[in-house]
Amino acid sequence: MTAYVMRRLALMLPVAFLVTIGVFLLAHLTPGDPALILLGEDRNPEAIAAIHHRLGLDQPLYVQYVTWLGQIVHLDLGRSVTTHQPVAIAIGERLPATFELGAVALIWSLLVAIPLGTIAAVRRGSLIDRLATGFTVGGVSIPNFVIGIVLIFVLSVSLRLFPFGGYVPFNKDAYENLRHIVLPAIALGTAGAAINMRFTRSSMIEVLNLDYIRTARAKGASWQRVVFIHALKNALIPVVTIIGLQVGGIIEGAVVTETVFTWPGVGRLAVESILNKDYTVVQGIVLLAAFSFMFANLLVDLVYGWLDPRISYA
Amino acid sequence: MKRIAVVVAGLAILAACGPSGTTPQSNTPKAGGTATIALENELRTLDPMDSSLLVEREVFYNLYDSLFVIDPSLKILPGLVKSSDVTDPLNYKFTLQSGVKYHDGTPFNAQSVKDNIQRYKTASNSKRKSDLKSVTSVEVVDDTHVVLHLSKPDATLLSTLVDRAGMMLSMDAVKKGGQDFSLAPMGAGSGPFQFVEWKRNDHLTLKKNTSFWKPGLPYLDGLTYRAISDVNAILAALRTGDIDIARRIAEKDIASLKTDSGFIYKDIPALAFNGFELNTSIPPFNDPAKRKAVALATDRYQIVKNVYFNVGVVGYGPIPPSSWAFDPTEKIYDKADPAAAKATATGFSFTYKTTSDPVLQQLAALLQSQLAAAGITMTIQTQEFAAYQQECQQHKFQACQVGWSGRIDPDGNMYAWWHTGGDFNDSVYSNAQVDAWLDDARVTSDVTKRKQAYANAQKQIVADAPYVFTYFNVSTQISNNKIHNFTIYPDQMIRMVDVWKG
Repeated sequence: MTAYVMRRLALMLPVAFLVTIGVFLLAHLTPGDPALILLGEDRNPEAIAAIHHRLGLDQPLYVQYVTWLGQIVHLDLGRSVTTHQPVAIAIGERLPATFELGAVALIWSLLVAIPLGTIAAVRRGSLIDRLATGFTVGGVSIPNFVIGIVLIFVLSVSLRLFPFGGYVPFNKDAYENLRHIVLPAIALGTAGAAINMRFTRSSMIEVLNLDYIRTARAKGASWQRVVFIHALKNALIPVVTIIGLQVGGIIEGAVVTETVFTWPGVGRLAVESILNKDYTVVQGIVLLAAFSFMFANLLVDLVYGWLDPRISYA
Repeated sequence: MKRIAVVVAGLAILAACGPSGTTPQSNTPKAGGTATIALENELRTLDPMDSSLLVEREVFYNLYDSLFVIDPSLKILPGLVKSSDVTDPLNYKFTLQSGVKYHDGTPFNAQSVKDNIQRYKTASNSKRKSDLKSVTSVEVVDDTHVVLHLSKPDATLLSTLVDRAGMMLSMDAVKKGGQDFSLAPMGAGSGPFQFVEWKRNDHLTLKKNTSFWKPGLPYLDGLTYRAISDVNAILAALRTGDIDIARRIAEKDIASLKTDSGFIYKDIPALAFNGFELNTSIPPFNDPAKRKAVALATDRYQIVKNVYFNVGVVGYGPIPPSSWAFDPTEKIYDKADPAAAKATATGFSFTYKTTSDPVLQQLAALLQSQLAAAGITMTIQTQEFAAYQQECQQHKFQACQVGWSGRIDPDGNMYAWWHTGGDFNDSVYSNAQVDAWLDDARVTSDVTKRKQAYANAQKQIVADAPYVFTYFNVSTQISNNKIHNFTIYPDQMIRMVDVWKG
């Protein structure tokens, strides 16, 4: 197991190297000049040149890349072009809000998906199955910002049940924190809930047709026991793969939801940094997102072993 | 982002259905309470030295004091400078307020003025260098007297000292803040409110300065700023009560807000001008006739009515109605005249650069149809802001939509834009006579002469049409009805020193 993990971590290095090149080129080759954004209505040739020099933008691109890579190797993401704040701190300050939103969205999606998917599989063709299928189609096809805006209009602006956007830290006021997270978490988690429900349903149908289920039933185990103890654990393997991708994609999903709900997380920082040509922050966030995917995939592979003892890491 | 903007736009219509409350009005100022103010962008810095955003200035006016201040008629009045003697155009003598302390307890004095100006002029990341170009040195006479020595007469200097270049900071606080000072200027100002915390993308909190040098002020216990980047979302937050004051909402929503007794909407002419640049260095607009044809075919009244819902007024030149230099008789291109445009030049085409902002898209489409009536083909090129901004600055355009937020002194609305080689002269316009008028107006302090020089320059610039002026926007009060004693300034800044809530 340890050897497997070490091998996987070592394999990540070349991927990470390629990611740094991609991230760097993406951030630098998009049109626009950070100096002009920084100076706004105060631009003049001397000030533009001074900023180019300060940021090293007057150096050839490969020199800028090597300098940045050198920083990354020393675990230094540099400083934000616009605020001069260390990038690691800028991202670190927002990660808790993004993780909290991602976690609650994931919990919401699982609370909906697993019971609904299981029931839909067991009662195939029933009304509940058809409703669940309708939910899947709706959940996947309606973009999360549309869900967010409808939620804001109905539950916040009209009924005044929830606040309009913003964030209150849990340790400051737990009740307000929960009130603020409900709408963005539903908006962010609904697509995941629909996908997870679909996977739970189809995987459950497959497992319920396997021999060992029939054996368990023949031995006199109750339907509930067969479904929830024998079948569900095995049926969850493909769902875990999808959840792994969803965990890795929390930042990606949060970009839109955090903007709609003015949620102070990494997603909103990403949007703002892209618009401001704050390439050091953009590079930091994309690197973080890439590493999240890589580690989430590793974690998923390890969870397989727990769910299905036949999988070995030798 | 475009998708988000488009869909979030639905919020305003939806929000219009929301309920609103009314509160009894009273004219006796009441101390206490806090106000939440929406900012249309997130700030980048809290240090006036490296600030470049309008929203930053909006916060600074409540956090820092300037050497001079303005009243709503743009008259320059004493601020931290108690009185001034500017009879010698090369040596400005200032007497300073005494007894003023920064939020960290250090005194404001002549040495502080010298240190601040020195910092603005020399720090490597200072964006105030060009503001203070004419100041060669600051002489400390005694604790409350300084002399600013100038390299040449500069009629714009006092108005410059109203804004960031004149904002005084505690040097102790600057040193203590070190590299992160711009993110947490703890104790640095002497204004009515002092810094508490800034959580980027969430909120910025200021609290009342209990030792403010103007007795009895401020009334409010604190201010909270929230960055909400979409104007429709700002309106929704105003209606849900999450914010008390906004600087801007979509023009289309103003009529409904005006009729709602739960809110206050007022406006006055601002300092800004709007329109689009025509590049005089390349075809087709190196031909003055083609520039004139575009200016003649543009229907400004239709733009103000259809795009801006009659919020604001038709713009004829760079000097807005709020300025002392405004010339109401100056209407070279007034009503649209497609026939005259056709007679001047027709049958040519050009590309108009703009951004994906929905209002600007609407404006572009309207312009396109107006010019088509004069036989001019306009192709709209929509670009991401950073790319559009860079290409316009590098003169890689035929026409580029760009506005200006405006400056207190008319020089700030003209020199950089149309003086040969000016920092904002993207149109590459050059006219020796205009240069001379603008130079003269900079060095003379005689207001009558300055006004004449600006009138002459404006007339020539508008006639030559390196820029087609369309619209002057407004400065507003947009708040719920609990906000009292709000003064609107043409510079669009929200000054909270004497605002109260009740």
